Amino acid sequence: MIQKNPFLYYGKKLLSFCLSVFVLSVLVFYIARLAPGDPLMSYYGERVEKMSVAEKEWARDKLGLNDPIYVQYVRWLQNAFRGDFGISFKYKQNVLTVIGARIGNTLLLGGTGFVLMFVLALGLGILCAWFEDRWPDRVICRLGTVISCIPEFWLSLMLIMVFAVMLRWLPSSGAYSIGKAHDVGDRIRHLILPLSIVVINHLWYYAYMIRNKLLEEVRADYVLLARSKGLNKRQILFRHCLRGILPSYFSIMAISVPHVLGGTYIIETVFSYPGIGTLSYESARFHDYNLLMILCMISGVVVIFCNILSQIINEQIDPRIKAQEVVETTEVKRA
Amino acid sequence: MSELLKVENLSVSFDTPQGTVHAVRDVSFSLRPGEVLAIVGESGCGKSVLCKSVMKLLPGTARVESGRIIADGRDITHLTEREMCRLRGKLFSMVFQDPMTSLNPTLPIGRQIEEAIQIHEPRIGRKALHDRVIELMELVGIEQAEERCKLYPYNFSGGMRQRSVMAIALAGNPKMLFADEPTTALDVTIQAQILDLLREIQQKLGTATILVSHDLGVVARAADRVAVMYAGKIVEIGTAEEIYYDPRHPYTWGLMQALPALAAERGELKAIPGMPPTLIDLPKGDAFACRNAWALAIDYEEEPPMFRISDTHYAATWLLDERAPKIPVPVGGKAYG
Repeated sequence: MIQKNPFLYYGKKLLSFCLSVFVLSVLVFYIARLAPGDPLMSYYGERVEKMSVAEKEWARDKLGLNDPIYVQYVRWLQNAFRGDFGISFKYKQNVLTVIGARIGNTLLLGGTGFVLMFVLALGLGILCAWFEDRWPDRVICRLGTVISCIPEFWLSLMLIMVFAVMLRWLPSSGAYSIGKAHDVGDRIRHLILPLSIVVINHLWYYAYMIRNKLLEEVRADYVLLARSKGLNKRQILFRHCLRGILPSYFSIMAISVPHVLGGTYIIETVFSYPGIGTLSYESARFHDYNLLMILCMISGVVVIFCNILSQIINEQIDPRIKAQEVVETTEVKRA
Repeated sequence: MSELLKVENLSVSFDTPQGTVHAVRDVSFSLRPGEVLAIVGESGCGKSVLCKSVMKLLPGTARVESGRIIADGRDITHLTEREMCRLRGKLFSMVFQDPMTSLNPTLPIGRQIEEAIQIHEPRIGRKALHDRVIELMELVGIEQAEERCKLYPYNFSGGMRQRSVMAIALAGNPKMLFADEPTTALDVTIQAQILDLLREIQQKLGTATILVSHDLGVVARAADRVAVMYAGKIVEIGTAEEIYYDPRHPYTWGLMQALPALAAERGELKAIPGMPPTLIDLPKGDAFACRNAWALAIDYEEEPPMFRISDTHYAATWLLDERAPKIPVPVGGKAYG
């Protein structure tokens, strides 16, 4: 439940959000520039090797890379507030245009994966709780433990080998075949493998959590009263117990967005899927500072927003949770 | 059909990693329509397990080893879970010890009562359902029911929650009500109110009640008949009058002497020495023998049978055997002999 003054409550949340985003931007800005490597590589490509020292110096000056980092940061910040995030060194275009062309693909992959994963996890969790300690439960739990230990890049390669190379059922990379950008069927075919990896990799943990929370709930005292008034197992599980765990499930969903996002980035890279995951990888590797900065900020904002959202959900649903406790638990999960 | 519930030689045990716990041992009793039978005894003597085994609410580790349960003329000992669901709430229902945890915290009180009604009357109309909820809430003494049915359990005090639990238990018009220490978790002033309410409802609706308690004072206020349980067995059973004025079992004497109200006359509050035995390794003979100041040699050898004192009064102690020495009774009025 919200404290007496909703403005104060949301104001505080907003303030902590802005502060986190600011700190994040400073850190990313500094770390990117302190990391070894040559940003001119991404601007001039191969030509860098043929440039003289004077030419290189001139190029750095032109790109503003010779100023102290804090001066660069202040300049970046001033431009950013005017809505100008600079150009990508590699693509020579406004970074927003570059990202805009790719972000749809990532949202499609991550979003579908996220929804699918949570529906399936809920179903599997309920199934396991229903068959507690009998074979369906045991098989699913063991299987889940094994599968979630497999690194996603390896699993991706295995699936590519089986379904793309050996069976030739599905394409191994990209978001669409050349010339078929608007063919829905073709896009779906390209989505199947990366999507399976997103779901298969994250599904088990959440299913297991649903199972355990449900079993905890089934042992609660109120279940005895529900049974003594004549409710059967199905009615108790769906009407009573599920109700008790859904709030915490929603907040965990919000916390899990960053995990899924991170997973998507890796999977995109393996499948050469043209989303912002591959873009981040390229920009970090080739020191495309402006692009990297914005990509990090987008991911960071999503993560911080989801954490604050889960905190708000928790407080709204269960008034007995004190604000402080939630901050601590989300912090632990993030770490 | 004079008996609503008849339990014959019921034994229930639990399988635990430490061994088999014999929670209920060879218990027989009956309950007549409209009467209040109290079951008293120390914590862990099997009172709750006895009630829950009749309603089959025990966890999977519990096992009914022997005996029969006949409810409303029907043998329910081996009914399936599905059949039991149909009886629970309608034939018998239960009020639990801790009202703070026995209500679902995520559903409004009114909704939880509605649910209990709908299970047995799925076709009931919305208006009729709502009226019935209000009627039940008023029956258990919740004022302003119209507004309060929308509230959640955490808005209610302990006493109000226990009243709500009773409304839920009574929703299906059960013929029997098991009240498992319904006042233990409440504070003293509320305890009396809830007991009076229990008695009042029982008289108004004629619901037969089994009242489980470890407090003889609570029992005196409400019960028609009393069964005293020790280490999973009923050691003495009789009308409330017989138990209070003419107790025969040394354990019952011990309980009486430990009552502050009765001890006041003598200025001394006596405790029963020692601890009840663990129900895993029961001693040979009478389980109470080692705590019993009047124990006879045979108590350590053989368990006493139920001796008949009158048609309604039975006790399991060798002191009632005709060969036993006559001893003065420390409580109550009469002496043996």
